[in-house]
Amino acid sequence: MNSIKDNETGKYELRICHMYPDLLNLYGDRGNVLSLIRRAELRGIKVRLVPVSIGDEFDQDDFDIVFLGGGQDAEQNMIRKDFVEVKGPKVQKSIEDGMVFLCICGGYQMLGKYYQEHDGTKIECLGAIDVYTVGEDVRYIQDTIYEADFLKEDGVSDSTRLYGFENHSGRTYLGPSVKPMAKVIEGAGNNGKDGYEGAIYKNVYCTYSHGSFLPKNPRMTDHLLKLALKRRYGEDFELPFLSTEGEDFARAALLQYKEKGNTAP
Amino acid sequence: MASLRYHFAIFCAKGTKLALHLMGRGATTLPGKVAARIDPKILARLCSGRDCLTITGTNGKTTTTHMITDIFRNCGYTVVTNVSGANLLSGVTTSMIFGLKDMKKAEKEGRKVICVLETDEAAFGKIACQIKPKVSVVTNLFRDQLDRFGELSHTRELIAKGLDTCEADILLNSDDSLVSELHKGREDRTFYYGFSSRSMKENNEKYPGKSGLLPASSDAEYCTECKEKYTYNSRSFGHLGDFACEKCGKKRVPARFFAKYDLSKNPANEGYEVTLCDAGYGRNEFDDPSKILEKTVKLPVPGIHNMYNSVSAVAACVRMGEKIGDTEGLSFGKCASALEHVEAAFGRMEKISIGSKKICVMLVKNPVGLDRALSLVAGAEDADGMYMLLNSNIADGKDVSWIWDVDFESKTFPQKVYVSGDRYGDMMLRILYSGVERERIIARRMEECAELLDQAISTTADGKCLYILPNYTSMLALRSILVKRYHLKDFWK
Repeated sequence: MNSIKDNETGKYELRICHMYPDLLNLYGDRGNVLSLIRRAELRGIKVRLVPVSIGDEFDQDDFDIVFLGGGQDAEQNMIRKDFVEVKGPKVQKSIEDGMVFLCICGGYQMLGKYYQEHDGTKIECLGAIDVYTVGEDVRYIQDTIYEADFLKEDGVSDSTRLYGFENHSGRTYLGPSVKPMAKVIEGAGNNGKDGYEGAIYKNVYCTYSHGSFLPKNPRMTDHLLKLALKRRYGEDFELPFLSTEGEDFARAALLQYKEKGNTAP
Repeated sequence: MASLRYHFAIFCAKGTKLALHLMGRGATTLPGKVAARIDPKILARLCSGRDCLTITGTNGKTTTTHMITDIFRNCGYTVVTNVSGANLLSGVTTSMIFGLKDMKKAEKEGRKVICVLETDEAAFGKIACQIKPKVSVVTNLFRDQLDRFGELSHTRELIAKGLDTCEADILLNSDDSLVSELHKGREDRTFYYGFSSRSMKENNEKYPGKSGLLPASSDAEYCTECKEKYTYNSRSFGHLGDFACEKCGKKRVPARFFAKYDLSKNPANEGYEVTLCDAGYGRNEFDDPSKILEKTVKLPVPGIHNMYNSVSAVAACVRMGEKIGDTEGLSFGKCASALEHVEAAFGRMEKISIGSKKICVMLVKNPVGLDRALSLVAGAEDADGMYMLLNSNIADGKDVSWIWDVDFESKTFPQKVYVSGDRYGDMMLRILYSGVERERIIARRMEECAELLDQAISTTADGKCLYILPNYTSMLALRSILVKRYHLKDFWK
């Protein structure tokens, strides 16, 4: 892959790596990429989006944010070797160097140490973060709400809640070097037991929330943008203000829907 | 004993229907459920000795079933078919029980009878053994409510299971790599329908589609055999096209029944012409051209995807004619001509006049359905407003994140976009993120969807059409609103 030239017209540029978009594209994961693009571009930041799939080179110097979604079992099996063995060392190095990652569901599990299937078979994963996952029979499928403390550090005071939709049968457990991403208000979260959801390690954010996670949580999008651009342009970089009116309208509608209760067939 | 049980089951089904009607409710599934509880083999008994045809797949089942039904009727057959959506064991059984009277009458008078049965793709594995169809159509396999049905490979296995419990001739979509896979081990009874390879290639070259910011999420980019990425000689939409795997050599088989088309005109508009072709038994597009039968027809329902539905419907009828020895009454020419007289069904592109304006309802249940509907609205010259409704009841699937799998970004929308449904916030956000300005989107709660419909219709210009895109339960709600507020007759039963 050619190295990306700095954009000459816009002052700032954001380079997004979309990993395996042709295979890991379940449950609307592409909405997250759209959200990163939209909220960067509306601020006049030029966005460069690079799909990186099986056989493509992953060069950490080319990117500011990496997005890794989830896929169906067959697809995840197809990419595992390429991800763990081929791209693995570079991915691991970029994580240690502070590259911003957003990993959803299968992508989250694959960053961890291993995935233990129902029959006890352990599937080795990348081991870039200290988590492991155990598959169980009961699948968690529901709308979720989390409380995210890290947003307070961004000066968000009114809306530190994250809204999501989970759909997973894996139970993920965190080791000591990894922090949970948020506290579960509604839903099962990582494992249905400890009351936490997702994981944060350095600038890696992992969650079980599928689909329109970032569109529904613009403050989370902004948090990732800020981390990525500060890393690229220095701590002095300030993310310009951008309204969340449209997203907040959708969030209010979602709450309304949840409060109404939904029992119709 | 079996006979007594059978008659008692039918008696009870009739009683159930009467009771439901007295309560003012529809009776599309419960009578069959009751009957099957009493006589678990009832569907087999109802189908025994009759010529049955099944239609399954994730998209286009209802439209295809409807087309096949109309073609048979136009060719002089008495047809029993199931009501849209009632496509599980209970619904199919109900339709067969209440079709008995017509079937017996026709059989007595020596008229020909056909049962055209839409079957849910997940239920097909279980009910095909009872129906024992003579011809079975598989439309396509696209992701559809993964939270309910699981993965596509699983759905395909269920269909395969059903195909192995009967001896039906199998009509497969040649352009769908997931569907055409079903030929394996069933080669001698597989027939293909699809698009003309040459047409697809020519149209791809002349009219390359607009590409959006991000490609839509795809279901089948890689070979199911060797996991190599498919190369495409040409594409129609989604993962459908002239695919090939360079590693293992697996590739699309040209179809016996195919459609030639030309995108210099817009298939979103009424009166679009397509040329249907039948290369004849054991042949395809690339064999002896003098033996290829052709018929140019007006597409009965607009949209590229309806070209697939049309060619599969004609193929099914022609093949059925060959199976039952009526190649005269169900000749390719007759079937193709009969297709032109098919009328759209409610929720499937039917245009309804409301005063000087029109509305057109398109049910959208999954990503590819929504993609097709949005393309159609974007291309329709009469479009002046779009109204989307999104619910997330169990029948719809609880997860609405699939709306993000669809490429909205490459589509153009009418000036005004109305949004409702329980998940109006999610849909509003989806449209906003496609680049439509906030002030063009009017979003209201489901409780206000009727008032919003009034507003949307009143702001539609005279002679223009409001395109309405509901998902399943929001369409049911919309239907009763149209009956109550606009006094449309409830022709959907």
